[in-house]
Amino acid sequence: MVQSKKERYGFLAFCLLPTFILFLIFTIYPLFSGMYYSFFEMSGSSSNKEFVGLANYVKLLNDEIFPHTIWHDYFLVITKVIGIMILATFFAVALTQLRIKEAPFYRIVFFFPNIMSIVVIGILWMFIFNPDLGLINSGLEALGLEDWTKAWLGDPDTALSALVLPSVWAGIGLFMLMLMGGILTIPKSFYEAATVDGANGWQQFWKVTVPLVWPQIKNSILYIVITTLNGSFIIVQVMTEGGPDNSTQVMGSYLYQQAFQRNNFGYGATIGVAILILSLITVLLLQKFMKREKIQY
Amino acid sequence: MQRTFRLWWKTAVILSAFTVIAACSSGEEENGDSNTSDETEDSSDNEGSEGEGAEGLSGDFEIQYFVGGYGDEWWKEVIGDFQEEHPDLNIIEHAGPNINEEMRTRWVSDDPPDVVYIDGAGSSETQMVEDNQLMNLTDWAEDIELEDGSALMDSFIVEPNTYDGELYSLPLVFDTWGTWYDKAWFEENDWEVPTDFDHFMEVMGTIQEEEGIEPFVTTGQYPYYFLRGVLNPAFGSAGGDELLADLVAGEEGAWTSDETLNVMKKVEEMASAGLIDSGYAALNHTQSQMNFLLHENAFIPVGFWLPNEMENDTPEDFQYGFTPSPFQDEGEPYVVVPDLRPLAIAENAENPEAAKAFVEFVFNREYAQLFSEYTGAIMNISDVDLTENPNVPEYLQTANEMINDPDQVEIHSLPYPMSADLEEPISDALVALMSGDITAEEFTERAEEAAADYRE
Repeated sequence: MVQSKKERYGFLAFCLLPTFILFLIFTIYPLFSGMYYSFFEMSGSSSNKEFVGLANYVKLLNDEIFPHTIWHDYFLVITKVIGIMILATFFAVALTQLRIKEAPFYRIVFFFPNIMSIVVIGILWMFIFNPDLGLINSGLEALGLEDWTKAWLGDPDTALSALVLPSVWAGIGLFMLMLMGGILTIPKSFYEAATVDGANGWQQFWKVTVPLVWPQIKNSILYIVITTLNGSFIIVQVMTEGGPDNSTQVMGSYLYQQAFQRNNFGYGATIGVAILILSLITVLLLQKFMKREKIQY
Repeated sequence: MQRTFRLWWKTAVILSAFTVIAACSSGEEENGDSNTSDETEDSSDNEGSEGEGAEGLSGDFEIQYFVGGYGDEWWKEVIGDFQEEHPDLNIIEHAGPNINEEMRTRWVSDDPPDVVYIDGAGSSETQMVEDNQLMNLTDWAEDIELEDGSALMDSFIVEPNTYDGELYSLPLVFDTWGTWYDKAWFEENDWEVPTDFDHFMEVMGTIQEEEGIEPFVTTGQYPYYFLRGVLNPAFGSAGGDELLADLVAGEEGAWTSDETLNVMKKVEEMASAGLIDSGYAALNHTQSQMNFLLHENAFIPVGFWLPNEMENDTPEDFQYGFTPSPFQDEGEPYVVVPDLRPLAIAENAENPEAAKAFVEFVFNREYAQLFSEYTGAIMNISDVDLTENPNVPEYLQTANEMINDPDQVEIHSLPYPMSADLEEPISDALVALMSGDITAEEFTERAEEAAADYRE
């Protein structure tokens, strides 16, 4: 049966229109209203607001804490990308190539943190890092390394690094599955041919696996970057509230503090605009640098 | 095919229209949605009309109250009694630990509840006054009388906060911060309750030596516990209400004044002597309180709600002891600076008659007794004799006795709560000082900068 043009457009409208309207309401409208509020001074607790032009942006440029929050965010982005991608790739290759009998079990174990709420993960790791009762300090003491024990989340020198561990732990499973999906689509004959040509396991990984799962790797990296820039504030809020002395403050948690704790809603909206701009620039740059020709063997 | 297409098209249009309607539904419906788990509605089915005169109150009456360490039993009882007195009133309660956040959209859309109890995270009386959200009670409050005919305005333990001489709230709870210790543990080890700062340092030194612990703990995630529980009384002792008012207002030079610096030097002394728990900066309030209960530490500054909040975790042999924070110089009386938790009426209250009747109803010495029984804390009403009440905990009776004895304890007060915009940066600097990362002088400079930003 041949579809008429009208029918085709009708079907497309049926599929796209509701989603598009939802997108307008829940993404575009908040985006522009956020930008709009960044030009006002308002508490966020009432409808009173005063137009202040670019004053919030000038304040942002002179804010001593904000540059630190940008660095903290990118520190988390870099460490999470490296940590998650290395471990997720390692586990994905191990579970697909090494013929481990318990692979399905490990797959579930590694994916398990992904079905937990990030708030629960944060609370769990707060207990692990607890200076007096936590697993890490207790473990170090049991190993006779008392000198190494410290208040991991209470020391400005270690608090931010301490947040990397739960973030990586919580992220591995999803990306491991994505990469496993990619690896499993590579025909076995490619590896057989590589073996015949004398390539060892390491060479096979770099010359066969990585090029062929590059789209998944690229998407994973982009996803980690975006979710970290937009969502790292949850783990920060739960575990440290940005402290001690702003040493773990990220852009999102600073936005929250300004908008909802310090009643500077307009300024919070300005920080939100800055996050949007920085995220866009980062993603565009990443896409440029990660662009590769599609490889087909 | 044509029919199928038409069906698809109609479905798409209906779906889209439904989505738009659902998302843009009226404020009334949104409010209806927000009235979920934290609310209980009276079974009476009164619609529409506002109450007219306290005798025949009717219509909807909404009250918002935060439920924290003090629980909600007292509220339930008072509201129940009020309902009995006004059976035609449909009382809607908005309550819970996150109620301030949950009700934010109602306040933003100028559709607030009638009465609000201002307490807990996300609430700020100062901000509400600045945003013109609270009713001016100056004239009306003059006529309120307690059950014995005495004027309410003359019966407060601590005077209400005023803004340019105008009254926007009535202080319900006399929330006093102080320093807690385990009385049984102290008696067992013959440790004395500190009487001033030097003695405090001496006692903490003894405990540190004998028990091998860092004796003082507080929450580093919420440094305002230390600020309000220890520093404010210390500032009050050093410079009285005047210094407190200047500090809260961020007046130029207040944070770098000699009095302030001397207080902060004491904090520096505690930090450099290793008396503050080295992990405190990582702890939230419940973790620090847990450490205290487990004798990982000996002193903790918290408000009166501590025993109630930690009721389920308190070891059997633990005996709560309370003293005003001993940060004053030798020979000086203790100081308490209460945090007043007020009750206010919304400027846009839809049932102001019921709101006023409820506020009048609540301020009552019988309910003040009941409040102490349920919460272990004090309502801000004077001449409430707790000594005869067997249901009031011992620590509260002792504390109440001390607070009412001006030779032992001076009461100083803030003109209004410190704005979060000033408190947050000062708290950051405080954590750095208590961690030993900066000196007292550096703290005062950072605080002065924060005050300058706040004044702008």
